[in-house]
Amino acid sequence: MGVRRFTRRATAARADTSWVTQVGDVLSWLTSAAVAIGVLAGVVSSLRERIAARPPVAAAVLPGAVTAGVAAVLLTGGVLGVLARLGPVSATPAVAAWWLPLPAGRRGLLRGELRRVAAVTVLAAVAAAVPVLLAGPASPTVGGVLLGSVGAALAAAAVVGALVVLQAAGRIRWVSTAAGGLAVVAVVVPAAAASAAAGLGREPADGTVLPAPPPALAIGLLAGTALLAALALIAADRRLTRLPAGALRERGETVQYASASALSLDARELGRALGTVVRTPRRPRTWTWVTGPERAVVAADLAVLARSPWRWGQLAAGAALPVLAARTRGLGDVPALVAVAVVLGWGLAAVSVGEPSRRAHASPAADRTLPLSAGVVVRLRAVVPVAVLVVVCGVSALLVGQGAGSPLGWLAVGAATAPAWAGAAVRGGYRPELDWSGPVVSTPFGVLPTGVGATLVRGPDLGVLGTAPLAIGLLLGEAPPVLVAVQLAWASALAALAVETARKKS
Amino acid sequence: MTAIPLLSADELSVGYGAEPVCAPVTVAVAAGTALGIVGPNGAGKSTVLQTLVGLLPPLGGTVQFDGRDVDEREAPFRRAVATVLDDDAFFPSLTGAEHLLLTARGHGVGDPERAVAAQIEVFGLAERAGALPSALSSGQRRRLALAAALVRPFRLLVLDEPERRLDAQMRRRLAARLAAAVAGGAAVVFASHDADFVGALATRVLVVDDASCPVVPTADAVAALHEG
Repeated sequence: MGVRRFTRRATAARADTSWVTQVGDVLSWLTSAAVAIGVLAGVVSSLRERIAARPPVAAAVLPGAVTAGVAAVLLTGGVLGVLARLGPVSATPAVAAWWLPLPAGRRGLLRGELRRVAAVTVLAAVAAAVPVLLAGPASPTVGGVLLGSVGAALAAAAVVGALVVLQAAGRIRWVSTAAGGLAVVAVVVPAAAASAAAGLGREPADGTVLPAPPPALAIGLLAGTALLAALALIAADRRLTRLPAGALRERGETVQYASASALSLDARELGRALGTVVRTPRRPRTWTWVTGPERAVVAADLAVLARSPWRWGQLAAGAALPVLAARTRGLGDVPALVAVAVVLGWGLAAVSVGEPSRRAHASPAADRTLPLSAGVVVRLRAVVPVAVLVVVCGVSALLVGQGAGSPLGWLAVGAATAPAWAGAAVRGGYRPELDWSGPVVSTPFGVLPTGVGATLVRGPDLGVLGTAPLAIGLLLGEAPPVLVAVQLAWASALAALAVETARKKS
Repeated sequence: MTAIPLLSADELSVGYGAEPVCAPVTVAVAAGTALGIVGPNGAGKSTVLQTLVGLLPPLGGTVQFDGRDVDEREAPFRRAVATVLDDDAFFPSLTGAEHLLLTARGHGVGDPERAVAAQIEVFGLAERAGALPSALSSGQRRRLALAAALVRPFRLLVLDEPERRLDAQMRRRLAARLAAAVAGGAAVVFASHDADFVGALATRVLVVDDASCPVVPTADAVAALHEG
C-alpha cells in the first residue's frame, strides 16, 4: 500500500499538467471533432437525395452466419498466434534468474503461470465468442449462447494445454505460421467465392441460418471438449518440468515487451514485440539493376517485403476484408459498415507495407549509409508501398463495387486511394516514440504521456482521411470520373503531407 | 604548409539537455590524418563523436565539415562521411553480404561484387556472409558494420571504439586497413581505449576530460594509456 501511495504521489508530482490544461485539450479536441462532423454532415446533406436514390446492393451473397464463422476463425488464429509467440508459458527475467535455478521442481514454480495463461485465454475466448454467437444464427437463444460460450472456454483450455505440450517438445514455432495462414485463408477464400458467385449472378438458397445441432449432440460435443481440455491440461502440467530455462526467459522478455507496448497502447511496439522470426534466404540477391542510391533504397524495401511471406498474406487479407463485408447480407447493405471494413482492410495492408519504414525508424543509421538526403530517403520509402497498394486497393475496390456502377470506376477510385495509404504507412513507420520525459496523465491503462493519442494515430489518421472520397462513392453507390479525380488529388496531397511530416521527424 | 581542415570544431560544447558532459573541444582534422579520442569511461567520447557528425546538436560552439556547418541529413555529407557508431543498424531480412552489396551499389562503386568480396576477406566474414545479422555473433556484427563503412568511398570515417569485441589479429588487420585509408588521403576520427590501436593509427590524440580537452602527441597519449 505504502509503495503504491508513494508511486501515485510521485507521479502526481511529476504531472505538471493542470486541470485547466487538460480541460483546454479536451475542448480543443471536441471543437475539432465538431467541425469535422459538421463538414461531413454538410457533404452528406448535399448528397442526401442522391444517396436516397442509391440502388440496392444486389450482389451480397454471403449469409451473416458465414461471416460470423470467419470472424471466429480469425479470432482463433489470432489467439493461437499470440499464445505461440508468448510461450504460452514463460518466466520473467527475474523469475528465470532467481527461481528456476532453485533445487525445487520446476512444475511447482511454473504451475501458477500455466493457470494464469489458461484463465486469461478462457476469458478472452468467452469474450470473443459471445458476439460471434449472437451474430451467427438468425434468432440466438440464451441457452445456445451459454452452451457456445462454455464450448469456447473448454476449447480455449484445450488449446493452451496442447500448446504447452508442443512448447515442451520444442515444436511451437510452426503454430504461429499455421495460425496466420489459417486466418488469411479464412478471409480470402469466402471473399473470393462470394465475388465469383456475385459475378455469376448466383444467390445461395435458404442457407442464411446455421442449423442448430440437436441437444444431445451439443451436450456430447461439450463433454468431448471438456475431456479433451482436461487431458491437455494434465499433459501440459506434467511437461512443465521439461521447459528449458533459456526459452522460458526469452519468452518472458517478449511478454514484458508486449505487455508494456499494449498498456501504452503502442501498436507499433506491440508489432515489434510479436514480430515473426526472419529466416535466412536460400538465394542471395545480386541487384544488378541497382545503379544508384535511390534504387538501393527501393531494392532494400522490396527485399524486406519479399522475404516476409506473412506480409503477403496480410496484403491478401487486407484486400479481401472489405470484399467480405460488401458481399455479406446485412453488412453489404450498409455503406458505412463497408467503409469501416475498407479502412480496416486497407489499414492492415498499409501496416504490412510500412515494415521498411518501421525498420528504418528503429535503426536510423541504416538511412544514413547511402548518399541521399534524409528527405529523399523518406520519399523513396513511399515508392514500394504506393506500387503495392495501387494493386491491393484497386482490386479490392473493384470487387467491393461489383454490381454497382462502372467496374473501371471502382478500380480507379480504389487505386487512387493508394497514395494516401502509402503516406499513412510511411507516416506511421516514422512516427516519433512516445515522449516519457515530459508531463504524464493518469488513465485507466496507467500513466501515459500527454498527447499520446495524437502520436499513436499518426499514420492511420491519414489513411482514414484519404479514404473519405471513396466512402462518399460507397454512399452514392457509384464511382463517377469526377470522384476518381477528387480521390486522386486528395490522396496525393495527403501523401505529400505525410512524407513531409515524416521527414521532419526522421 | 598547413593542411586545410576537413572537419573542425571550435569551442564545441557537447552533452544531453543543457548539461555539458566534458570541457569544450577545439580541434581540426585534415585529410590524410587520423585523430584518436581517448578518455575514461563516461568522459564523453561517444557524445563528442555523435556531435561531430551531427547526430546530437552542439550545446555551444561550432562544428564544420568542409567549411560548412555539419548537417547529417544532407546528401553531400552522407556521401563523404562514413560512420560506425552503432552495431545494430541492419535490415533483419538482408544477409551480411547483401548489406555490403547494396551499400556498394548505392554509392556507385565500380565492380561492387569485387569490392564486397575484398571486404569480406579482410574482415574474415567469408563463412558467415550469407547469414542474417540476427544469426551473427556480436563480434561478427561489429566486423560487418566496419566492412560496410569501408566498402564505400568516404573522405571522413568516424568510428566509436572500432576495436571493441575484435580479437587481437583482427585489431591489427583493422588498424592496417585504416592506416591505408589515411595514407590514401582520407581522414579518420576514432575513439578508443586500446593503446596499441591508438599508437598504430592516430596522428594526434584528443583527450576528453571534465577540466579540459587538449590535443596531444600520439606518443604522450599512448604512454598515458599504458600507465592506466
